[in-house]
Amino acid sequence: MPHDEVFEAMSTAFEGGAPVALATVAQTLGSTPRKTGAKMLVREDGSFVGTIGGGCGEAEVWQEAMDTLEDGEARMVTVDLTEPVDGEDKICGGVMRIFVEKLEA
Amino acid sequence: MANSAEIARALLTSAREGPALASCTVMGATDDVDVALGAKMLVYADRLLGDLGGGPLETAVITFARDAIPRHLVQTCAFTPSGELVEGRRAIEAADAIVEVLVEVVEPAATLLVVGGGHVGLAVGQLGAMLGMDVAIIDDREDYANAERFPYEAQVICGDFAEELKRFPIDANTYIVLVSRGHKVDELALRTVAERGAGYVGMIGSKRRTRTVLQHLAEDGVDRDELDKVFTPIGLDIGAETPEEIAVSVLGEIILVRRGGGAQPMSEYGRFLATTRR
Repeated sequence: MPHDEVFEAMSTAFEGGAPVALATVAQTLGSTPRKTGAKMLVREDGSFVGTIGGGCGEAEVWQEAMDTLEDGEARMVTVDLTEPVDGEDKICGGVMRIFVEKLEA
Repeated sequence: MANSAEIARALLTSAREGPALASCTVMGATDDVDVALGAKMLVYADRLLGDLGGGPLETAVITFARDAIPRHLVQTCAFTPSGELVEGRRAIEAADAIVEVLVEVVEPAATLLVVGGGHVGLAVGQLGAMLGMDVAIIDDREDYANAERFPYEAQVICGDFAEELKRFPIDANTYIVLVSRGHKVDELALRTVAERGAGYVGMIGSKRRTRTVLQHLAEDGVDRDELDKVFTPIGLDIGAETPEEIAVSVLGEIILVRRGGGAQPMSEYGRFLATTRR
């Protein structure tokens, strides 16, 4: 699957001298909304391009991306979609490992 | 060392126009391995951009990545620092030192070239567009090859089949579906495309008729190995009847060729109740 929007947003940010955080699904176990290679790019103002899977864990990863922009530390985030929330099972029921890194020109 | 801006531009170019590349990113490493998290290397068929710090690990990743390109692979792999691929969760956990590398092929959307704008061609194109493929449809009849007929994004080409097909660019990322109005046209079209290295060529028709077409072409000197690769009769055996169902069967086959898979109901891989009841 081409990720042109993410790559384009990355290029544009670098041309303007701005850093970005890139979250990439490194591995999935069980049933997950997106598969390995899915990407979300997060800018310093919190806006983002691309998706690593809708509601399931995306807010958590967005926060990690914002933290990464701040401290510059690349990290692996594990999102567990098997635990129930609000008494309801999360629909996905898998585990995703997501690599979050800060990139700058 | 290539900078991030160069890498980003190269990724964008390959995603939009090609050529295909395998993007390799270090996503994890045990503490004792001297490699930077996030290190990136783009591996093209004939060159590199960026590096993973050299050494046997880099050499192993390059070899793996080159092999991944024709398979459209996206996979995180574990290597030892000395460049051995480690497979399976147990082996990875047991290894002393591991480097995790995401190898991901970046290339433009695949092209779906539909020969014949009839009911089946219309449905095949529609499903291809839904799957994110760049769709082109060729027919020599204006009633079947006009933009109004195709309510989705497609390049509609009206003209002589042989001429238009000769002109159409074909490579390993091109998937060709021959569903024209008759086997004479399909034969002509297959003659034009068979030896051009498409990722997939499928031709509709009964076993008997498609065999006749293949025989004609073989007798005329078309490469037999190339003819052997043609998927004909076309599609997965799912009992498809309507043009739309046939489109599902054809695109199912194309996904199978592209991604690999067992082409069975997933449930066949583990019949839980059937085995526990006994």
